[in-house]
Amino acid sequence: MTDSPVLRLVDTAFTHPGGAGVEGLRLDIAPGEAVALIGPNGAGKSTLLKGILGLVPRTAGTIEIGGVPGDAQAHARHGIVSFLPQSADLDPDFPISLEQVVMQGRYRGLGLFRWPGRADRAAVRHVLESVGLESLGARPFGELSGGQRQRGLLARALASEPRLLLLDEPFNGLDQPNREALVDTIRSLKRDGVAVLVSTHDLELARLVCDSVVLVNRTQVSCGPVDEVLTLGNIQECFEGVEVEIDEHTLVVPGHEGH
Amino acid sequence: MGYFERALLAAVVIGAGAGFVGALVVLRRRTFFAQALTHGTYPGAVAAAALGVSVPAGAALASVALVAMMAGIARIRRQGAQVAAGIVLTGGFAAGALLQALIPGLPVQAESLLVGSILTVSEADIALAACVALIAIAAVAFVGKEIAFSTFDPAGFRAAGYREWPIELLVLALTAASVVSSLPAVGAILAIALIAAPAAAARLVVASFRGVLLAAPVIGAASGVLGVLASRALAVAAGPAIALAATAFFLLALGISKVRGLPLRRADIPVETAEDARIA
Repeated sequence: MTDSPVLRLVDTAFTHPGGAGVEGLRLDIAPGEAVALIGPNGAGKSTLLKGILGLVPRTAGTIEIGGVPGDAQAHARHGIVSFLPQSADLDPDFPISLEQVVMQGRYRGLGLFRWPGRADRAAVRHVLESVGLESLGARPFGELSGGQRQRGLLARALASEPRLLLLDEPFNGLDQPNREALVDTIRSLKRDGVAVLVSTHDLELARLVCDSVVLVNRTQVSCGPVDEVLTLGNIQECFEGVEVEIDEHTLVVPGHEGH
Repeated sequence: MGYFERALLAAVVIGAGAGFVGALVVLRRRTFFAQALTHGTYPGAVAAAALGVSVPAGAALASVALVAMMAGIARIRRQGAQVAAGIVLTGGFAAGALLQALIPGLPVQAESLLVGSILTVSEADIALAACVALIAIAAVAFVGKEIAFSTFDPAGFRAAGYREWPIELLVLALTAASVVSSLPAVGAILAIALIAAPAAAARLVVASFRGVLLAAPVIGAASGVLGVLASRALAVAAGPAIALAATAFFLLALGISKVRGLPLRRADIPVETAEDARIA
């Protein structure tokens, strides 16, 4: 039972009310497994993550989180799923400290009408340490650098002690030390049995930290262990004519012959 | 209690309540919204005065309709909400002025609806303002952390599995209630000064959500008391004096923040990585 998937999608489609979406998703993520979500821009990676969260309507198939049917809107109150958005649209002028931002990750677990207690403050200190920001807890969030804000929001996502962590392009705009810190964080989460689904353009990072890969481009192209999925043929099919970063080179994937 | 003592009490209660709710309004960037509401309640107040029923009740009825309308529009698009607020603001004011011109022999002077008359407030007016303030405090005590979260990061709030509209509706309802209960003191035109200025002043000199929620009511109450005292000492109208006192507090806070360099204390942000250095 302990090895039942944290996330299971069966023939699932998520579609924005406007019509754009992603379909044909078949995916299991086990506890402690990291899965890379790879595809060109506009392939529906963010749509897939937001669909799991329940922010984009499910239009086909089923979704199970922790063995229970339903998206994260039904589960988030239990703190099962956490999300780190690609770019946070937050108010940098709002008077709030880093600690208080991270504490927001505990609110769902606390529920309405209750204020954080000692255990919550200890949890916040712990996750701030795990992202290396323990010395900046009291600082106003708006005064932090871009990299520090990103790590602070990651800490907030971890503060709810999720079983499934969704990361949307978390490596974008990060320099080498911050990338390595994030890779370390993902590895330690895996050791703790947290399932991670991370969208990225970076195939190297996928190889470095992930066990499996899902290739999507409006529909699921391929899914499986990294070495089996990241083949030239699959990447061609998924990224036809798109720039790809691999082995520190950027290359444009040519289309199939005959196209 | 003499009329002057009652005016002072009203100034404290109404000023503190408007300051507290104003803190939520300013932090959520709903000031223009609130201003539209103040002007939109005007026709309701005129109609109530003409019918001989309670003026706050008429204003409240008008504001309920407006809150429902604007909350609906705010859910669609933020830009649309600004436009809607602008239309409601001028439309409400025009409707009030028209009603006032059409109905001869109103029992209430036009001026008192527009700029208030705190020297003639009733105990019921004060009780209403006290109730609104207590409800606002209770709301923040119960769901303050959700209000702060949704204000700071609406997308993150939704991603955490919350719905935004109950919070939006709650704050709008508190705003409308605060506007209605402020009318006797400062009227439809000046109410926004008592709601926005103390909170904006507090925001300039205090660097925490809790701090703003504590400082804004104090500044609001002080504005009210100063305005009433100035009105007696200088024999000027109390409503404008209260609004000017609130404005003066804002200018004072602006000066202090310029001197101290708050809230952007450009202190030493530790530069840990090349990317941090680039951003810094």
